[in-house]
Amino acid sequence: MSRVSAVIADDEPLLRAQLRSRLARMWPELAVVHEMENGRDVLQVLEDHRPALFFLDIHMPGVNGVEAARAIGSRAHVVFVTAFDQYAVEAFERGAVDYILKPFNEDRLGLTVGRLKERLASRPPRIEDLVETLASRLGARPSEHLRWIKASVGPSVRLIPVEEILFFQSDEKYTRVVTCEAESLIRKPIRELLEELDPAKFWQIHRATIVNVDHIASVRRGLKDQAEISLRDHAATLVVSRAFTHLFKQM
Amino acid sequence: MNSYAYLLEGLTVRRVLSVTLICAAAAGAVVWLFLNTYSDLLVSALCVGYTCMVLFTVAGNIRQVRLPREVIQLFAIVLGSFLGTVLAQIIKGRDPRQMLTERLAGLTITMGLGIGVGCVVVAAYILREKHARDQARLLKAEAERHQLEKNILEAKLQLMQAQVEPHFLFNTLANVQHLVETDPPAATRMLDSLIQYLRAALPQMRESTTNLGRELDMARAFLEINRVRMGSRLDFAIEVPEPLMCRAFPPMMLITLVENAVKHGVDPCCESGSITIRAQEAAGRLRVSVEDTGEGIKPTKGGGVGLANIRERLKALYGVSARLVIEERAPRGVVASIEVPAGAGA
Repeated sequence: MSRVSAVIADDEPLLRAQLRSRLARMWPELAVVHEMENGRDVLQVLEDHRPALFFLDIHMPGVNGVEAARAIGSRAHVVFVTAFDQYAVEAFERGAVDYILKPFNEDRLGLTVGRLKERLASRPPRIEDLVETLASRLGARPSEHLRWIKASVGPSVRLIPVEEILFFQSDEKYTRVVTCEAESLIRKPIRELLEELDPAKFWQIHRATIVNVDHIASVRRGLKDQAEISLRDHAATLVVSRAFTHLFKQM
Repeated sequence: MNSYAYLLEGLTVRRVLSVTLICAAAAGAVVWLFLNTYSDLLVSALCVGYTCMVLFTVAGNIRQVRLPREVIQLFAIVLGSFLGTVLAQIIKGRDPRQMLTERLAGLTITMGLGIGVGCVVVAAYILREKHARDQARLLKAEAERHQLEKNILEAKLQLMQAQVEPHFLFNTLANVQHLVETDPPAATRMLDSLIQYLRAALPQMRESTTNLGRELDMARAFLEINRVRMGSRLDFAIEVPEPLMCRAFPPMMLITLVENAVKHGVDPCCESGSITIRAQEAAGRLRVSVEDTGEGIKPTKGGGVGLANIRERLKALYGVSARLVIEERAPRGVVASIEVPAGAGA
């Protein structure tokens, strides 16, 4: 039997060494031609080494195993390596892709090696569906909304999680950011904030004001078709201008 | 028109009925003083009563801050008594011009009675309202106390639920598995760290009171493990003066900051990074900070449940006298610090 070339991708050096030594013992014909800390250069590696097989750790910083597999597509066989991923394992069980659990179990690794030897005879299977399932199950999609506000406080830049913010109010050149404990000024105008904040949590109630609905204590009717909002844990009263009172009309 | 409807807020059927009854009773009580019939007196009383009622209601709803509400309401009663008396004259078909001449005495008495009875009724009403307000304030204080107790309980629950990540555990064990074959002394060291970490991290093993020293031991164990796992990518230092080790510090907060520094700071940036834990005490406050030289926080990256938990637990434990501050570090990375009132501790 001819030599089989393989690449190992894992961010933990000891675990790469461990997999390599185990494989050397159980599968002498396998040559590990390259090791990677993450999937960033996977296309280059594919080009340079033309390996038949990739061992991909699912969790790696930068480009993770699932993203690397997506890039590889059907150009090589893929084996996923993971420490604990209930969802991923469920997906593997139904798919045509092999996986190895860390810490390695000698018998289990032997089974996988046996199966891989058979599979290498045929073309790599299509794994697009599995990769998409994995990607969605691993929650790889970050939220597009603003989650932190960076505000200067003295010489330092403070990071305020948006959950803490009671309201934003424009103040001529700046925008006031008010939390229970403190106030700070940022340069980003209300208009831009509106586009970037989660609209389910942050409502514009006035030309100059955005309120975090989670912190509203009560809404009262006020003068001239306006309304007034009182907040939990803060003394301020916010005016809801006529154009926005419909947000608070009874259901 | 509609926009001034709020001025009549509180003008309920109940209020109208009460005023009607009070007027009927007042007219009955003074009927022996006058030559007039009861029905004649009742008309006057109702005119004065209703006018006072409407003005009193409006006075109570006017939005202004210059005068106390009670003063305006008193003025409303005086004005209402006068206008009501005039209204009664008009309704009874008498010439209002006579009011200043032959009927002056009778009118003065009507007005006086209106003002007198009105003031008594309003005083009773204001007292009742004040009582209701006190009661409401009491209930609110009670509710706040309950909420606080609930928060403390929730904080305890969150603490119990803080789990060791299986992913971390299995990856660490995989490292140990390899080290056992290649470098047994290193394997022993790593196992020691893992045991120390688990002792502090598993809820069943956790002690109810803790101090900064113990929390630092746990953080150190966690960082030692990660230093082995991440190879040359992670470096760390703990710069805490010895006397601060015995200071009280809430459990599982420091480790959350350290975990974040590894997971969201150093690990995602592919080069190496370092983490420094510092503590200092000044002006009766203990400040513990975790600084990393990692990739920093992207504005759209989730803040994580961990930080929110810390904030809630700090609030439940210390109210406003403790805080968690996250700051950007120059030129890169994040500094997260917890400030609590300094105490001797366990």
